Amino acid sequence: MAASQSSASFDIVSTYRRLLSEDPELTMPVAAIESLVEAFAASQASTISETLTVLSNATHTLKAAIPNPISLSAGTDLFQRYLITTLRPGAGGDFDAIRSHLLSNGRLFVERAKASRDKIAGFGRHFIRDGATVLTNGGSRVVGAMLRSAADASGGSVRFRVIFALSQNEHDDNDAIEGTEIVKSLRQKGVPVATIPEGAVAYSMGKVDMVIVGAEGVVENGGIISRLGTYQMGILAKAAGKPFYVVAESHKFVRLYPLSQYDLPINQQVIDFKIEGENDWKQGPDRGVPDDEGVDVGLEGQAKLAKSNMRSSQYFGNASANAVDFTPPDLISGIITESGVLTPSAVSEELIKIWF
Amino acid sequence: MPSMAVPPTPGLASFLKSLNANPVETSIEHFISLLKRRQIRSSRACAVATTHLLIQVLAPATPFTALLARIRQVGARLTAAQPRELAVGNMVRRVLGLVREVAEESPESASGGGGGGDSTADAKPLSHRPPLPSSISALSPLKHGATAPAETTTGTTTTTTTITAPSPLRETHAGRPPLPTQSTSYAPGPPAATSLFGIFSRPETPSPASTPAGAQSPSRAAAHMPGGAAKEHRERGSPSSSSGGMSGGETLSGLREMLDELDSAAEQIAGVALDHVHGGELILTHTASATVQRFLLAAARKRRFTLVHVESGPNDDGDTRGAVLMGSGRKAGAAPGGGGGGGWGGGGPLGGEDDEEAGAPAEERFRPLTAAGVSVVLVPDAAVFALMARVNKVVLAPHGVLANGGLVACGGAATVAAAARAHRVPVVVVSPVFKLSPLYPFDVAELIEVGDPGRVVGFGEEGATRWLGEVVDVVNPVFDYVKPEFVDLYITNLGGCAPSYLYRIVADHYRVEDVNL
Repeated sequence: MAASQSSASFDIVSTYRRLLSEDPELTMPVAAIESLVEAFAASQASTISETLTVLSNATHTLKAAIPNPISLSAGTDLFQRYLITTLRPGAGGDFDAIRSHLLSNGRLFVERAKASRDKIAGFGRHFIRDGATVLTNGGSRVVGAMLRSAADASGGSVRFRVIFALSQNEHDDNDAIEGTEIVKSLRQKGVPVATIPEGAVAYSMGKVDMVIVGAEGVVENGGIISRLGTYQMGILAKAAGKPFYVVAESHKFVRLYPLSQYDLPINQQVIDFKIEGENDWKQGPDRGVPDDEGVDVGLEGQAKLAKSNMRSSQYFGNASANAVDFTPPDLISGIITESGVLTPSAVSEELIKIWF
Repeated sequence: MPSMAVPPTPGLASFLKSLNANPVETSIEHFISLLKRRQIRSSRACAVATTHLLIQVLAPATPFTALLARIRQVGARLTAAQPRELAVGNMVRRVLGLVREVAEESPESASGGGGGGDSTADAKPLSHRPPLPSSISALSPLKHGATAPAETTTGTTTTTTTITAPSPLRETHAGRPPLPTQSTSYAPGPPAATSLFGIFSRPETPSPASTPAGAQSPSRAAAHMPGGAAKEHRERGSPSSSSGGMSGGETLSGLREMLDELDSAAEQIAGVALDHVHGGELILTHTASATVQRFLLAAARKRRFTLVHVESGPNDDGDTRGAVLMGSGRKAGAAPGGGGGGGWGGGGPLGGEDDEEAGAPAEERFRPLTAAGVSVVLVPDAAVFALMARVNKVVLAPHGVLANGGLVACGGAATVAAAARAHRVPVVVVSPVFKLSPLYPFDVAELIEVGDPGRVVGFGEEGATRWLGEVVDVVNPVFDYVKPEFVDLYITNLGGCAPSYLYRIVADHYRVEDVNL
């Protein structure tokens, strides 16, 4: 980065990755904030505009290096807005005071972010009533925390059940599937959990009282960006007339206004057209056509054999672990944040408050 | 029929008369018993009675914290007495908010710093709470605020799991150092504080929770005090009240304003009637409501329209007939057994919303719509679907409106709303703001009152003694929950808004820390 010599020696991307790997409980926006605070600490910036330049360069570097920067951009944006509003002349911000505040309290922000998850769990469990069956998916920590909190709240005799949609189109090592840990921890707490493949969501919907999902980012129109498969759950829940709740901390609010699935600022090839003979295709005729075309039904046995070694991430484009989709606000009944249960239309207001 | 017991029918009027004569504690008990016996019902009567009672409770020169705790305690007793009268809790919360506002604005309180209202309220010994009358109160929707987790209340929600997080609200209030009153150079957090900046707030206030929570609170409030520090102060959501004495005058005048609002709300709503009712339209309304009556009367002054008035048995048909024939849902001054149906409690059952029970000379204020030139068609609710195709607009009156945009209304309202949706007929809900509750319908069943099954099948009916209770269950739900998706527009005394916007009005009227009483 041409920006400053100081940030050259500081590698924000590896810091970000390190933070995430060190603490599995950390969410991406908070890790991004943490990294920026460290970048701030590493820089010798002594003026406001210098600081902002350093940070915006670090942000760009970080965003460029991470394949799906939507979630982390919520954190970087929030941090940037915070600095701008507090350092704005006349805002009463003293640069040194702010700087020392930020540098000395980096950990605290993380703690608070985690505390907000617990707070959400506190609300959320009121949603889960006796006898309810909850459908969820993915590996959202906050959803997990909420369900565990609901289980604890029932004082030993759990009276709700969970249907957990697991995406199984990955390399079928059971532990690798997102959500397995949540399932395990819920079962330990005595919550009856059924795991279903994503294809069974519609089938199960009739037995479900509510759908609760997590989100990577909550966008300006109140929709959410979440792991692939959430959108269809939203549609199915709407069709079945079941409430569809999103659980997300408010630091995941991100200033995006996607108009459709294909309008996200990331490059994911979920739909990846191929014909035989192309490079990726050399694995043999039995894998010739993607599953969802239905053509390889006759070759099912072979396909199953082939599954474990041939389902490369390449084959699925980017569609496996990290792909996301956009669930529009009209499918969402409520967004449970640490500051209350919001309607989707409340999100833009919160964002407007910090941006304008 | 309890209301027959005493010659001057106990009700709002007699309660208000007795207020000045009795000591406060007696009045509270009196109100509680009236609530429990359903001698004061309908949201407006409850709101009026609650506000008058709280005026008595406000003793001048009480420290703010004590006052908050006191109001909160009274509020908890009142709501426990009748959890489904949402208006009671609404008014208590608004008064709490008012007291906090006065506390925050008055200079001496700002210097007070320290422990806020919440901590005192929380510290209050549990023995002060009335025993919960039934399991419904323990599960009562009133404990399930949408804007704060139940931990902020004490014991009553016996649930438990302590959130491992260092129970943020309480801590803050206990350990908060005095907030600077002026914006100092040592920036006390972000000046344009918003909930999203929650995690950045300064370490002196170790609460991520209260900041975002507070910021939910109204920009209306913020607008009152543009000063950076003042705003900060406010947005921290901290009841920084405490040592200051109570400037009774301000609070009292605020309460009087609320009473005025209760009086004028229906009028204000009626003021926009001409924008919504057009000439030649076919309007459908369900059961008797004074607010709807006024709304339509106001429209009838300039417009010729037809009204389909749906009566809905077994609870509300008497009221409805009363409204159609005499212009008042409740026969003059809540005559016992009035409204045709006889029934339990004076007048109709819980049916007619916000009826003017206040001993008001109903005939003077209301005329039947027919007298105003509206052609009225009275139909049973069984005919709703058949007629809906021809209807231009449905006007509903709620018993209470919830934070998610749903509403609780007389039994049958959900059917009407569903029929309207099926025919794509717009549903307009006329609701004064005092009916709007900050609660979230976590469990709809809790909000719905089940009434006297004797109205469905009388015990005197042939075979009744043989089958009832043994083989046949007779259920008479008095209310219905209407989902927010079924409502197109709310008309409040503040203007019209979409159901998805109600959260904002909630935020403008209630403090987060007051949601759980």
